[in-house]
Amino acid sequence: MLEIVLTREDANTEFALLAEWLVEDRAEVTPGQPVCVVETTKATVEIESPGAGTLVQLYAEDVEVELGKTIAYVAETAEDLASVDVAEKEKPAPKPALEERQATRKATELAELHGVDLGEIDKRGFITEKDVEELIARRKASESPEQGPVLAGVSTDGVSLPASFDVDASVGALEPAFLESLRADPDSFRALASDEKIRTLREHGAHIGEGVELGEGTLVAAPRVVIEDGVRIGPRGTVVCEEVVAIGELTQFGHDLELRCRRAFLGVGIWAGRSIRFGGGGHRDPWATLAVGDLAFVGDEAFVNVCRPVLIGREVFLTMRSMIVTHNIGHSVLAGFENRFAPVVLEDRSQVGLGAVLYAGCRIGAGAIVASSSYVVGDIPAGSFAIGVPAKVTGSSSHKLSDTRRLELARRMIDDLHELLALRGHEVSAISEGDPRGFEVEGTHVSFTPAFRGTAAAPAVVLTLETLDDAPDGVAVLDLDARRVHGSGGAVLESVREFCRKRGIRFEPGPWRYPGGLL
Amino acid sequence: MTATQKRCVQVLNETLHELFASRDDVYLFGEDILDPYGGAFKVTHGLSDAYPERVVTTPISEASLFGVAAGMALRGQRPILEIMFGDFIALGFDQVVNGISKFREMYDDQVTVPLVVRTPMGGRRGYGPTHSQSLEKLLLGIPNICVVAASECHDLRGLLTSAVEDERPVFFIENKLMYGRVNRRPEDGQVGQLSVRESGGPYPALTFSGTDFTDASATIATYGGMVPVVIDAVTELILEHEIFCEVVALSQLLPVELDAVLESVARSGALVTAEEGTLTGGFGAEIAARVQEAAWGDLRAPVRRVAARDGIIPSARPLEDAMLPTAHDVVEAIAALEGVRQ
Repeated sequence: MLEIVLTREDANTEFALLAEWLVEDRAEVTPGQPVCVVETTKATVEIESPGAGTLVQLYAEDVEVELGKTIAYVAETAEDLASVDVAEKEKPAPKPALEERQATRKATELAELHGVDLGEIDKRGFITEKDVEELIARRKASESPEQGPVLAGVSTDGVSLPASFDVDASVGALEPAFLESLRADPDSFRALASDEKIRTLREHGAHIGEGVELGEGTLVAAPRVVIEDGVRIGPRGTVVCEEVVAIGELTQFGHDLELRCRRAFLGVGIWAGRSIRFGGGGHRDPWATLAVGDLAFVGDEAFVNVCRPVLIGREVFLTMRSMIVTHNIGHSVLAGFENRFAPVVLEDRSQVGLGAVLYAGCRIGAGAIVASSSYVVGDIPAGSFAIGVPAKVTGSSSHKLSDTRRLELARRMIDDLHELLALRGHEVSAISEGDPRGFEVEGTHVSFTPAFRGTAAAPAVVLTLETLDDAPDGVAVLDLDARRVHGSGGAVLESVREFCRKRGIRFEPGPWRYPGGLL
Repeated sequence: MTATQKRCVQVLNETLHELFASRDDVYLFGEDILDPYGGAFKVTHGLSDAYPERVVTTPISEASLFGVAAGMALRGQRPILEIMFGDFIALGFDQVVNGISKFREMYDDQVTVPLVVRTPMGGRRGYGPTHSQSLEKLLLGIPNICVVAASECHDLRGLLTSAVEDERPVFFIENKLMYGRVNRRPEDGQVGQLSVRESGGPYPALTFSGTDFTDASATIATYGGMVPVVIDAVTELILEHEIFCEVVALSQLLPVELDAVLESVARSGALVTAEEGTLTGGFGAEIAARVQEAAWGDLRAPVRRVAARDGIIPSARPLEDAMLPTAHDVVEAIAALEGVRQ
């Protein structure tokens, strides 16, 4: 058996790099044949085979080897070959060199998030986040071939669109001549009383439900008008859409609403304050679609620019003076200035704080919170809390509570409600401890029980975390977890609902606010 | 490594063999260059066996080595000097500064001095203060010579052949780490994932882009042994941050030829220079001065320089690493530029 040893040539060198094997492991070699390239500190040298036989490599390529070590054997006979202990071989797992990677970290992460195979991207050079985004968009487009300008390719993932989004195209079409007269002379329409407006609109094709109120001086004009029961639009409102306006039941707007876009699809039970403006620059653009999900909250003086789709999910809070823009205004693109037109999406239950600004193209993930006065220029992941200018994620928007803690909080709600009613001057009994835990007010028993099993003496309002049985007559069960109301009740129920709302618990079915209660 | 990819030392060695075979006016002078040793870095391996009359091993006296070569060049020969370590060019400087670079102009073009000085620069091998320097900047201040820096991505055969054919005295700067690395020539216009454009002329510049030259956040001008360091930095910036920079790897350092740099700066609007030599009065200083003069309107930020600290290079590897510019330094310089998004 012959050995190939890395000899030491000078005093100040201790290691050499085994740069390359020129001969495969277990290949036959001849005397003097170069078998590998070794890099010492001073030179790169080829090492020759000391004889004829089978080469057995003991190190992998690209490994630093201590001088004086045997790097290979040349087995001259079959017995020699059989006796070689292969375990001596130090073969580290090859690490992919930086330059061999093609996809950026952002691209790889995005691809993993969406389950995209990077192999589908056929491209010279680097694969970037943009390439992956384009692939995802193409895939989405091919999945939903009808995706025209209405959604302009925006993903509705995480957004519960209102039912009005799918309103039948045959419903609520205004007679063209009437629409024309409305547009030509809006002031005459504005001057009508609410019931006259509704009657006129209905006569000319609009679908208007019962209990609808169109405030003094308010105008509604669109080729298709669909307004469900109980919708209220305050005084001096302007609702002008190029194609359709569809509003779900119980949704209400304060005074001075301005809603201008190509299509507006609003959900059920939306509560919106005063001086709210939807529209602004580009509101007649082909892509100017506004969708607002059920039970969303829009605070006073909010401004939502709609020249590209703006999708606001279910139970989203867009609080006072917050702003959404879907395009910028600036100087020449030829001078290198950014020119951006992009949709904005607020996924379900996301919240935007007072005076925050969402810039074109951003997406707020489900349940995420954007703190007041923040400026959002990119995507905020679901469930996160973002703050700052520009907004950066600093933590989570919520955290999981233990069952014990949840029970404690629910019980305390009874105490707090009891105290509030007493301070408001209502006659309330002392709290009865135990399960259920509660008190009497206005002849109704209000209590909390961890799980409702169908037993309660009417009239009663029962808060619970789990509804295991039907509510008997005269008993209203409010499931705090499922946020559902079972059964019915009067003013006390309304009061409890309003109280819960102020703790972020809104029940369905029902509107946003309960002004008629004891609170 | 495919069959077409050769190590730089092998390409240089083959080119020398070709030059010796094709022309009989080429001579080689240097210390320890005879076979079987074949030179400290083995670039001259096999030449003394093949051409014993034209390969001359010399005593340790760089001054006389330069002087003899100058005389031969004046008499129409094409001597190639191998200076074992770039640090030793200082020993021959009088010949260069007061003779070799001046003869042609002093004698009104009646003579030329077509010699080539091959020498390796660069550290990162633990050779200490006097065997690790990058002294190109000392040469940049000498009029009428040509300074060419080879990198592992350049056409080494082409560069060395052009140097031997050049009528000017040429300093041909090699790099100690480059010798053992693969000569990574662009294939189908690319090195790795980067697109590469090569300028014309005897000593071309290579421009690398990660966006196929559509846009860039900055240009990094560099040469020689810093080329792979800068390519690593640019690759990291792309893969980790999606910040795209162009790299201009110059081979002709003197006379200064900046077309490739200016062309790239027009796209990127910012310039960083990267060299392994010390900072003050260096390659980067010269490039910065010229680019701000020629392309002030294109620059959105001051030019930044990445270089070795102004000091000596210690022998201890960790200290040497701290002294010399790294890929991380390049990444930081880019990140600090105005207008580069984080």
